[in-house]
Amino acid sequence: MDPKQPPFPGPPYGRGVARSISEPLVGKVEEGGFGRGRGFLMPISEPTIGMGRGAVPAMDIKRADIAEEMPELQAEEPEVTPVISKVDVPRPAESSLLSMFRGMGIELGKTWGRGAAPIGRGAMGDFGAGVQSVMSPVGATALGPEKEEETISFVGRGFAGLGRTALPHMGVGRGPTSPLGLVSPIPAPSYMAAAPSVSEDAPAPPGTPPKEEVKPEPVGFLGRGFVGLGRTAMPQMGVGRGPTSPLGLVSPMTAPSSLPAVSSVSEDAPAPPKTPPKVEVTVETVGEPLKKAGTKGNPITIGSNYIPICCKNEAVFQYHVTFTPNIESLSMRFGMMKDHRSSTGEVVAFDGSILYLPKRLDEVVHLKAERKTDNQEIDIKIQLTKILPPSSDLCIPFYNVVLRRVMKILGLKLVGRNHYDPNAVVILGKHRLQVWPGYSTSIKHTDGGLYLLVDVSHKVLRNDSVLDIMNVIYQESRESFQDQCTKEFVGTIVITRYNNRTYRIDDIEWSKSPKDTFTLADGSVTTFVEYYRKNYGITIKELDQPLLIHRPKERSKPRGKVITGEILLLPELSFMTGIPEKMRKDFRAMKDLTMHINVGAEQHTQSLKQLLQNINTNDEALHELGRWGLSISPEILVTQGRTLPHETICLHSASFVTSSSVDWSREVVRDPSISTVPLSCWAIFYPRRAADQAEELVSTFSRVAGPMGIRIERPVRVELRDDRTETFVKSIHSQVTSEPRMQLVVCIMTGNRDDLYSAIKKLCCIQSPVPSQAINVRTISQPQKLRSIAQKILLQINCKLGGELWTVSVPLKSLMVIGVDVHHDASKKSRSVMGFVASLNSMLTKWYSRVTFQMPHEEIISGFRVCLLAALQKFYEVNHTFPEKIVIYRDGVSDGQLKTVELYEIPQVLKCFETIPNYEPKLAFIVVQKRISTTLYSYGSDHFGTPSPGTVLDHTVTNRDWVDFYLMAHSIRQGCGLPTHYIIVHNTANLTPDHLQRLTFKMCHLYWNWPGTIRVPAPCKYAHKVAFLSGQYLHSEPAIQLSEKLFFL
Amino acid sequence: MTTPFSPPLYMQRYQFVVDYVQTYRPRKVIDFGCADCRLLKKLKFHRDCVELLVGIDINAAALLKKRRTLAPLMSDYLHPGDGPLTIELYQGSVTEREPCTRGFDLVTCVELIEHLELVDVESFSEVLFGYMAPAAVIISTPNAEFNPLLPGLRGFRNYDHKFEWTRAEFQAWAQRVCDEYGYSVQFTGVGEAHGCWRDVGFCTQIGVFQRNYEGLNWSTSNDDRLEPSVYKLLYRVVYPSLCDNNIYHKTLLNEVMYEAQHLRQEWLRSKNTDPYNNPHVHYYPLVDAVQHGAVGGAAEQQEPVYQQGGDICVPLSCVWSSPRVKGLCGSLQCLREKLQDDSVMRLSVDGMVLILPAADEDEELEEKEEEEEEEEEEEVKTGVADSAKEDWDEELASFGNA
Repeated sequence: MDPKQPPFPGPPYGRGVARSISEPLVGKVEEGGFGRGRGFLMPISEPTIGMGRGAVPAMDIKRADIAEEMPELQAEEPEVTPVISKVDVPRPAESSLLSMFRGMGIELGKTWGRGAAPIGRGAMGDFGAGVQSVMSPVGATALGPEKEEETISFVGRGFAGLGRTALPHMGVGRGPTSPLGLVSPIPAPSYMAAAPSVSEDAPAPPGTPPKEEVKPEPVGFLGRGFVGLGRTAMPQMGVGRGPTSPLGLVSPMTAPSSLPAVSSVSEDAPAPPKTPPKVEVTVETVGEPLKKAGTKGNPITIGSNYIPICCKNEAVFQYHVTFTPNIESLSMRFGMMKDHRSSTGEVVAFDGSILYLPKRLDEVVHLKAERKTDNQEIDIKIQLTKILPPSSDLCIPFYNVVLRRVMKILGLKLVGRNHYDPNAVVILGKHRLQVWPGYSTSIKHTDGGLYLLVDVSHKVLRNDSVLDIMNVIYQESRESFQDQCTKEFVGTIVITRYNNRTYRIDDIEWSKSPKDTFTLADGSVTTFVEYYRKNYGITIKELDQPLLIHRPKERSKPRGKVITGEILLLPELSFMTGIPEKMRKDFRAMKDLTMHINVGAEQHTQSLKQLLQNINTNDEALHELGRWGLSISPEILVTQGRTLPHETICLHSASFVTSSSVDWSREVVRDPSISTVPLSCWAIFYPRRAADQAEELVSTFSRVAGPMGIRIERPVRVELRDDRTETFVKSIHSQVTSEPRMQLVVCIMTGNRDDLYSAIKKLCCIQSPVPSQAINVRTISQPQKLRSIAQKILLQINCKLGGELWTVSVPLKSLMVIGVDVHHDASKKSRSVMGFVASLNSMLTKWYSRVTFQMPHEEIISGFRVCLLAALQKFYEVNHTFPEKIVIYRDGVSDGQLKTVELYEIPQVLKCFETIPNYEPKLAFIVVQKRISTTLYSYGSDHFGTPSPGTVLDHTVTNRDWVDFYLMAHSIRQGCGLPTHYIIVHNTANLTPDHLQRLTFKMCHLYWNWPGTIRVPAPCKYAHKVAFLSGQYLHSEPAIQLSEKLFFL
Repeated sequence: MTTPFSPPLYMQRYQFVVDYVQTYRPRKVIDFGCADCRLLKKLKFHRDCVELLVGIDINAAALLKKRRTLAPLMSDYLHPGDGPLTIELYQGSVTEREPCTRGFDLVTCVELIEHLELVDVESFSEVLFGYMAPAAVIISTPNAEFNPLLPGLRGFRNYDHKFEWTRAEFQAWAQRVCDEYGYSVQFTGVGEAHGCWRDVGFCTQIGVFQRNYEGLNWSTSNDDRLEPSVYKLLYRVVYPSLCDNNIYHKTLLNEVMYEAQHLRQEWLRSKNTDPYNNPHVHYYPLVDAVQHGAVGGAAEQQEPVYQQGGDICVPLSCVWSSPRVKGLCGSLQCLREKLQDDSVMRLSVDGMVLILPAADEDEELEEKEEEEEEEEEEEVKTGVADSAKEDWDEELASFGNA
């Protein structure tokens, strides 16, 4: 690729190819503007690195980073040695962060075994950013390295000037601003010339490729000017109340780091505001953000649970601290730094070697300390290494610490990772439960800038100790007592009586009791009874209880100390948390509970506002935030989203546009389905006491089948003398084996019986493969509801037999859509199960399903390859060609795993295609995240509600490193608008954001168990269903004969 | 300075105080020079005796930083303690007279006096023993005779120490104080030397002072605590306890309700009135109650639960036989009185029977998936409906490889 002649843009929205246009500019901005110098040495040292995003192995990043840093430092700070630049290398977050919190006097390990603390994310983000800039050397090549160096200082000046001028203009944005309008408030007067040129490009419809007439040289230049913009724009972000457009929001997200020179210029020589060249903004607005904004659908005003954070500090300063002679002990390092608060100021974040301050010290500061053990004089050298914009990802970890303190100041109690309000506890005496309302909070740096993400959280605590419940279990089942206890407790979270810590129970130690001894940290040995008496004044009442085991995740503490071993807890002193399993099945009891937990949008926003008000009226809290120059907006984010166009549902001959409630339950039972399988040979099994209900059901079936286009014969009726599992299994088995044409087995069960259900499914999915339908007699016991129930069951049966119910049109040819989900067993002992579902026809009505089991920690991808190849083979059998486009929806990937998916899973998938000769399909890989704390609200006339189905938000709250969007496809009956987050990790199919969003929405219409839209694309839901069935009930892969039927519905 | 002691000496000092508290059970305790509140944090668990815990330090910043570690735990809300507990933190000097520090049962000064100038020790003695005059005082201070055994130590153990006394010096001071203010003292310590060094005494020497005369009868309730006039109150937290009438009433009501509901469910199940309801009856049979019913049958005649019309009647005596309820309410009579003026509970006229509805409040068990029978007006169709005409492949081709 000739760097002087940027290639024709190609599809502008894709992540892969499109980067070659947009990235150079991005790269430039970061490199020039912030003096990161990232990448401009790269073409020399790593000529291949710009080839593609996925191809760069993580290892290279380090090297690249160091290499890049050098020119920058040489240009501006000749005396700085490469040793320092090393500091910039992204380091594993955990250890340094952990110790940083220690440094700040915060104890991190409040919760054990709940996974990593949220802090990790900040660092991860930074890591991501690093990778990204490595990918972007193309533009940089355009400028020779020498040129780059020349211009840097100039740039710095430009930045400073701009920063100053622009500031007063910020913080105005109130009320809806159009994408265009938004751009204008950002540039200061001096920029006015630039603004019009922005407008030229900004509203470009998705169809038109962005213009590419920009010459390489100004490109670099421009980027630099823009950085100033980014910085200045931030205050505006903080206040902007009205809907803000994606364009404007883009700006603050540049700025992963900045050059010392930048601020030295801004301090020493505030340059006149006119310095920055004017051309810049044009390129910038096109270049920087990932193309993720769609246009289809109706614009609507929506709110979200993101609260803008304004950073008043100009910058945060990163220093590297060295102790000579070296001090090993971290606590000693902390102590020595603490004694120098007079130099560093009271506001510090220090992890033992990296120090962050909101104020600027001299370039190098030497301090003296005395080692108390041997009176050795220690020289502490504090070397400025980076000047960060206050919204830098590196700052987010300690901002989160500040936030925790604020929550504490407000009197909220930290349990696990969330904070709860003891003064608002709801007591459900009937169930011996307490519901603690509270918040989960985190600070995030998204496309729109720095935000506080707040979700309303409820903690369910039980008045019962583990021992209380053990006693109950003992009364109920003496003989299987230990098994029952294991089932009941393992995997649950308890909170101890003597501190606020929560622990997950991993096992029960039956051979120990409180009379046993253990060794304290200091080496002394004591019994549990004695320990609790001495330390907490607690007298253990039951001396014969077993002990609970918690095995903390191996965490390496700073300085290589690894915490291992078990933590033993006393059942008597551990309170249960969470909703009791038995209660979950009790609809009535759950209603008492969900009443308090499922809060609607109005209540949700109300409690958010309450929190914001509490923060903003508490002087201590404000002071705490102010130390780092933070202030939290009193208003939650209100912005512009879209509702996607309504889809047309096609049945056999009827078709209709969905109503705004996206519910077509009436239509599907009124008109024939796309295809139906005549039900000529089937059997129904029922215990004697359910004979009437079974008979009623069968006759209702034949009455309602006609309109749906189903032909149904009388079944073989098998009345069982009792409802024992054995009776069922035996007679089903003999029927199925004696009648090989058997199409379907229907079982009427009495009561909620997991064992029976499991046995029937095992028999019908593995041993004698035949579609089966289990029906709880309760559901068919109410005559007035029987008709609609029978209709639903019949539709479900039709799917299980291989019939097709409805579809929507997807205007893409030769497409295969795949859904993947993983089911983990709560007790962690069993393997996890991957469900895999792939479409086989262009109507997306034939699905191929597979399941693979994996051992814990086993890579998902090995099983995935097997499934994918089998699905492709099957596709070929059906269509006599392989699909040209494959869209994979992968559920169950956390933010932290995205990189792994991109760098490891996707190359494996691509490799998989190579096994087929001359086959290179286009691939879109979309990660689906359901468990996110983002909430969307509709907003109108100062009132928050639930947004309508099809609401999409693809800017402001989106991830800076990926093309992503939030889509709420389902309609909400109760509670809040919880969208699903889609992250496009790979897109060689070059689907535009509009395509991706609409395809996803379309897929949410295709789950045949629900005549409406669901939260996730249907293939994901199918994959979940089949994985759940296999993991929970079958404990084995279902028979391959069933793989083309939706037998798992 | 590496300490040769295990557990560390400071822990041993705290444990000494904790052991004292467990043995002598003072109700009101002051910790002078509480600094990071560690001792208070330990003492707050001893709620069976301690009702008022006060920490005083001259350094407000240290108190402010640590005060929240003294806040109630989740479990304090889950199971409110029987006795009251109030924790207060004050900024103040040991040489100032503060009225609200009088009338305490125990004052501890752990490693405090050596930080005072010798002149201040005099006024400290006067304030503590003369003015505050608590029933008991624990004073710990370094034993200077032990210092040669501490590796690498030159001078005092801490730069802020104004003096470090030998045993003789400490005891002389203590004796003088006792004579002057009417106390008697016993000496002990923590941190023993081993072998031939034994006779240097404890590393930390401790004097335990007892007042020789009956103290004044100070107000016993925490509620009418005086506001400080000299010291500055930095933190006050009142722990949830059953002494709070609201909390007590709520707790009792919950237990009674739970127990009654449970008995009602049991009865319904035994009558098997709702054969399909099995999966929904999952209230834990309260083990203690069951046992009680079986074992204690002789002691009290258990009246049975019965049905009267649409109501299930649960005799109060059944409910009272639950140890949890019993624990809260001394007698059946008392339980009846407590429940009678509550609007949530329905009681029979004589107040001896709880009345609960036989049927559950609502039978709407299905999820609300119900279809409305009446046809709704079709919504006006908005948005694009002509998706059939779309061709994304074409759209893609048009931006793509042209």
